[in-house]
Amino acid sequence: MTASASSESVLATSPSRGVFIGRVALIVFGAALTLLGAYVMMTTVKPKNIVGVITWLIGALILHDGIISPIVVGIGIGLKRVGRRIPASVLWIVQGAVFVGSVFTLVVVPEIIRKAKIPKNYTVLPFDYAPRLAILWGVIVVLTAVVIVVVLRVRRRSPVDHTPAA
Amino acid sequence: MRHLLFDLRRSVSSTNRNARSATVMGRLLGVAFVVCILTGLYSHFLQQPYSWMHFPTHPVSLYKWSQGVHITVGIACFPLLLGKLYTIFPQLFQSPPIKSIGHVFERASITLFVSSSLVQIFTGLLNTFQYYPWPFPFKQVHFALSFVIIGSLAIHIALKLPLITRYWTAKRSYDANGEFIPPESDLVPVTPRKQALERLAALGVDPTSAAFQRDLDDPTVVLDAEVSSAAFEARRPKGFVARIFAWIDDTPSSPAKTSRRGFFTAVTASTVGVVALTAGQSFKPFDTINVLAPRQQGLGPNDLPINRTAAAAQVLETAMDPNWGLTISKGAFSVRLSAAQLLALPQHQADLPISCVEGWSQMATWRGVRLVDLVALVDADASASLKVTSLEKKGGYRIMMMGSEYVHDPNTLVATHLNGERLDIEHGYPARMIAPGRPGVLQTKWLSTLEVL
Repeated sequence: MTASASSESVLATSPSRGVFIGRVALIVFGAALTLLGAYVMMTTVKPKNIVGVITWLIGALILHDGIISPIVVGIGIGLKRVGRRIPASVLWIVQGAVFVGSVFTLVVVPEIIRKAKIPKNYTVLPFDYAPRLAILWGVIVVLTAVVIVVVLRVRRRSPVDHTPAA
Repeated sequence: MRHLLFDLRRSVSSTNRNARSATVMGRLLGVAFVVCILTGLYSHFLQQPYSWMHFPTHPVSLYKWSQGVHITVGIACFPLLLGKLYTIFPQLFQSPPIKSIGHVFERASITLFVSSSLVQIFTGLLNTFQYYPWPFPFKQVHFALSFVIIGSLAIHIALKLPLITRYWTAKRSYDANGEFIPPESDLVPVTPRKQALERLAALGVDPTSAAFQRDLDDPTVVLDAEVSSAAFEARRPKGFVARIFAWIDDTPSSPAKTSRRGFFTAVTASTVGVVALTAGQSFKPFDTINVLAPRQQGLGPNDLPINRTAAAAQVLETAMDPNWGLTISKGAFSVRLSAAQLLALPQHQADLPISCVEGWSQMATWRGVRLVDLVALVDADASASLKVTSLEKKGGYRIMMMGSEYVHDPNTLVATHLNGERLDIEHGYPARMIAPGRPGVLQTKWLSTLEVL
C-alpha cells in the first residue's frame, strides 16, 4: 500500500477555483477566530488557570479517545461475537438502549454529586436525582424488552429478511 | 507501525463509522453549535455591552427564549457530539499518521475542536447548577473557548468539504444493497488472510468445515494447488496481538441498514430524551415532564426559584433595615424615597420573565413603580442611562449599568410585589429592578441607589 493518494495537499481535490477560494477563506476565518479565542483567554484568564484549562482539554481527550471509545468499540465487538445466534437488530436495540442510558447517566451524575454537597439554595437541584436515574434505567430496560419482543414477532411473521449477526 | 494502524482502524470500523454518518451528525452538530454561539454572544453582549449597543425590549421574553434555547441545545449536544465522535473514531488511526504540513494542521485543529467541545458542553452543563469543580473561571473560559470551537469548526468544514459534499445525500452514499461506498482515498487494505478466505469462498470451500479440516490434515488427500495455497494463507495467525486482530476480523459485521437504523434511532432517542426531561426548567409546556433539570418552575419563595440568596449577598440585615431608602440622583441633585413613599407612588403591574443566564426561566407578575416615573423625579431626559447599585456587599453584579432603552420602557419596574405578595427577601426585598428582555443577573435585587448618567 502506497500513500500516493494521500500525500497530496489536503486542498488539492477542489473541483473549481470558486470552491478553492471559499475553502481558503473559511480556513483564514477559522484560524483568525481560533487566535481570537486564544487572545481572549490570555487577556482574561490568569496563566495559572490557563494551565488548568489545558489540563482539562488534554484530560477530556484521554477520557474520550483513550477510555470511553475503546470500551464502546469493545462492547460492540463483544456483543457481536457473543451473540452470533442473536439477530443483528436485537443487538442494535440493546446497544442503542445502553447508549441512551449512558447519555442520561452522564448528564445526571454531576447533579447527584453536586446535590450531595451541602446546598445553600434549595431551589437549585430540587429533586432526588439518583432514584430518578434508577427509575429511568428501569424504564429503558422495560422499553427495550418490549421493542425486542415486537421486533422478534415481526421477524417471525416475515421470514424473508432473516439476517443474523453471524 | 502502518500495519498496526491499519489493524486498529479495521478493528474499530463498523458499518456506521463512515463519512456519510459523520456528515449527517456533523450537520446536526454544526447547526447546534452555531445556535449556541449566536445565543451565547447575545447573552454576553447583554451583560457586557459596548457603549454604542442597544437591545430590543420587545418581545419581553426574547432573552428567556434565546438563553433557554442556548442551554437546551447545549444539553442536546451531549448525544450529538458523542454520536459524531462515534462515527469518526477510526480516523484516529490514520496511516500514515502524518502526511504533510497541511495534514498536521488538520489533525491539530480537529484535536483542538474535539477537546474544546467536550470541555465546553460539560462545564456548561455543570454551570447550570452552580457546580465548578475545575481550576479556572467558568465565564471567561466559556467565552474564549466558544471562539476556539467555532474557529476550528470552520477549518474542519473547509478541509472536509470534498467529503461533506460527496456524502451530502443518502442516494450518493450507499450502493443498491444499502452498503456504504467508501471514498477512494480512504480505503483500508484488506489483510492477505481475509483475501485468502475470500478466494477459498470463491472456490466453494468452507475452511471452517470439519470435512475440509480433515482433508487438510490427511497427507493422502491431494488438494488443488490454488486451494492449498489459499488455505495456507488463511491460517489463524500466531502471536497474541495478531490473534486478537484476527478474532475481531472474523467478527461478522451486521447488515448495513439494520445498524444504521439502530445508530440513528439511539442518537435521536437520547437527544429527544435529555431535551424533553430537562427543558421544563425553561419552557412551560415541558414542566410536567421536568424530571432531570436542575430547576423547577414555581418552586421557591413567591413561587419563583432563586439564584443568588440573600445570605450569599450578605444583605440579611441591610435589606430588613426599617430606615431603608432608595436614593435617585442626577449629578448633585438627589431624592430619597422611603419604602412607604415608594409604595405611595402610582403602582403598575407587568408580566415579565426572570430568565437566568443558567437557562432556567419563569414568567412572573410584578407590581411596583415605573422606573421612568422615578427618574422623572430628578428630571432625567429620554437618553438617560442608569447606574444601579445594590445593597450587596460584594459580587460582580452589585453595580449594574442600564441602557436608556430599558430605563424608558414602560414595562421596567422598581418592583415591590411579586406574584401578588410583598417581595420576599430572597427576591430582593424591599425593592428590585425588573426590566424586559434582560438576563436575571441584571435584574438587580435589594436596590440601594439609582444614578442617572
